Amino acid sequence: MQRYFIAAMVVNFAICIKIFFGIRQQLRAEHAEMVWYQAIHLHSVLYDSIQHLPLLTGLTLAAAQFIPEMLGGRLRISLHLPMKRDIMLLYSIICGLLLYLAVCVMNLLMIGMTMRMYFPMEVAATVLPTMAPWILAGLLAYLGSITVLLEPSWPRRIFILIVFAILAYMLFTGIGYSWFAPALCLLMLLVPLSLLTVFESGRRFQEKGGS
Amino acid sequence: MNIKKISRYCIIILAIAAMSYSLPIGFDKVFGQKIGNPLLFFSPVLEQFVYRESLGGHQFNYKDEDGNSYNRAEFEALLPFLYFRNLERKKLLPVTVSGQSFNAEAIKAGKQGFETKSRHLDGHHQQIDLYPLFNNNPEVAIMPFPEDVFRFTYGAMEFVNADYNKLDMVLTGRFTDALKKLDFNFPATVVGGKTTNLKPFDEGFFIRDSSGVVFHVKRVLDKPLIVRTPIDPALDIQDIVISENRRKEFYGTIFTRQGGLHLISYDNYRLIPLPVDNYRPKDMDFTLLINPLYKTVIVGGPLKVYGTAMDTDYNIISTFELKRYNPNPPLFKFARDLLFPVQISFENPYRGHADPQLKFGGLWSFAGIFMALAAFFLMPGKQSKIPAREGIKERLISNKGDFALVLTTGFFGLIAIAFIGKD
Repeated sequence: MQRYFIAAMVVNFAICIKIFFGIRQQLRAEHAEMVWYQAIHLHSVLYDSIQHLPLLTGLTLAAAQFIPEMLGGRLRISLHLPMKRDIMLLYSIICGLLLYLAVCVMNLLMIGMTMRMYFPMEVAATVLPTMAPWILAGLLAYLGSITVLLEPSWPRRIFILIVFAILAYMLFTGIGYSWFAPALCLLMLLVPLSLLTVFESGRRFQEKGGS
Repeated sequence: MNIKKISRYCIIILAIAAMSYSLPIGFDKVFGQKIGNPLLFFSPVLEQFVYRESLGGHQFNYKDEDGNSYNRAEFEALLPFLYFRNLERKKLLPVTVSGQSFNAEAIKAGKQGFETKSRHLDGHHQQIDLYPLFNNNPEVAIMPFPEDVFRFTYGAMEFVNADYNKLDMVLTGRFTDALKKLDFNFPATVVGGKTTNLKPFDEGFFIRDSSGVVFHVKRVLDKPLIVRTPIDPALDIQDIVISENRRKEFYGTIFTRQGGLHLISYDNYRLIPLPVDNYRPKDMDFTLLINPLYKTVIVGGPLKVYGTAMDTDYNIISTFELKRYNPNPPLFKFARDLLFPVQISFENPYRGHADPQLKFGGLWSFAGIFMALAAFFLMPGKQSKIPAREGIKERLISNKGDFALVLTTGFFGLIAIAFIGKD
């Protein structure tokens, strides 16, 4: 898990650095005011190459955290520890979520600082509402992957996979900066719903004697 | 309710959300047909409205108010000012309309089109409030993009230089002082101007201050040229859209929140109210078409398109309303309502940003819900301790949560419960 987290941090950091140099290069090659015009009035998102990275990060962290535990049968042993199953699962998820959020905060800070360095505050302020749906998609990918991995029944597993895939896809349908801003509060409801979903699969995993 | 039940309902709710978002979109893509907006014009030849409506699949209807049909060539002949380039190529100019003769130059000089989509109005899309104020230089033919953008704060009109990403104190001081001398009340509430240099000339920005007064702000050789206009401060202005057309009849259009449309004339900013009653800025697009004889306002909403033809002094000559053609057969709507009693949607053609909506189906949705409920009661419940022979009441009591979900979401709830399993 530790290795995968470090790898995720490195990849995310590298993409942020690439975006920084890309924007710097663009501002040097073109007239700065034209790049501003693209960013402000043509709604070009200059950092959209990072769009799917939170999703991949969420998937990677979930796989790194749970697949080795399940393949080695360690999760089944852990479930017999003198600790409530749901509490144990919750602790595991909180750990994974903290790691995921650490990567996202790093991304937000780096992209935000890049934009602030070369653009007015108003432009930098759109980084959070623009990236929030992408980060949310990664969060759903993380929680959805855990639910799918724990689920012992294949039809349910495929159904849950499709549900989370649709919800994650939905979060990438925005165009330009801050497109989802009016819906962000509503979309945040997906987080507690997805988090709570894991426990039913966890219960079934234990009761159906998953590996 | 224990965590087991809560967790189960969470996945069901997520499944319902995913289905109610994706299935109606998929259904529309597979079975539905999208068509373009109808084009409505006032024909100076017939002196009545004519229109072109799409029937889908590159099929079009060309008709007039009375329902007479035309082919494309006949339709174009009814609109000589619109299709004058075709007439020019066919060497049919000058053309005589209403007893007057018009050559290409006369038509070109008297023509203007001005369109504003609802999704481009202030408040209907995400907009960073930074604008380029073009520097008018009489000695330069092209219009270079300014190296700065301006913003309004609570005490100043600030210019930020793009090369250094820093405030330009000189320009900021000049424009702020000039505005203060004219009793501008900061901050600005509406900023209207064209942010592109693809225009024949620049008229700067029309800016409404916090007391409602509209100022016309231009930049000439980096100096402010500001006029405090006599436009009524009581107007509840939503947006000011600038035209910058060579005809120089009006600067642009004021859109009020109540649906009022006013042209700002070059005659000392006198407002010309457009006599249009049906306009709703929240879900209507606006078009003003001007030709040497008539002026026509077209406002189009989700169900109807309204046309108002006026003479050159903006007096109404004729009005017409056209119901939008629906290319989808009744079976399409029936099946859609039956299957999808509710839809989660973020797209709105009249908004440039997400517009979260819960859309409900028509009357046939109740039939769909009834069918879903019937299937729900027939569905075997693995964990149900109530035998199939027991009455509906007992089954209902044992599955009241699931029942409520199917009752409100129809087949979405049924599918989710079928996969996740009954309680």
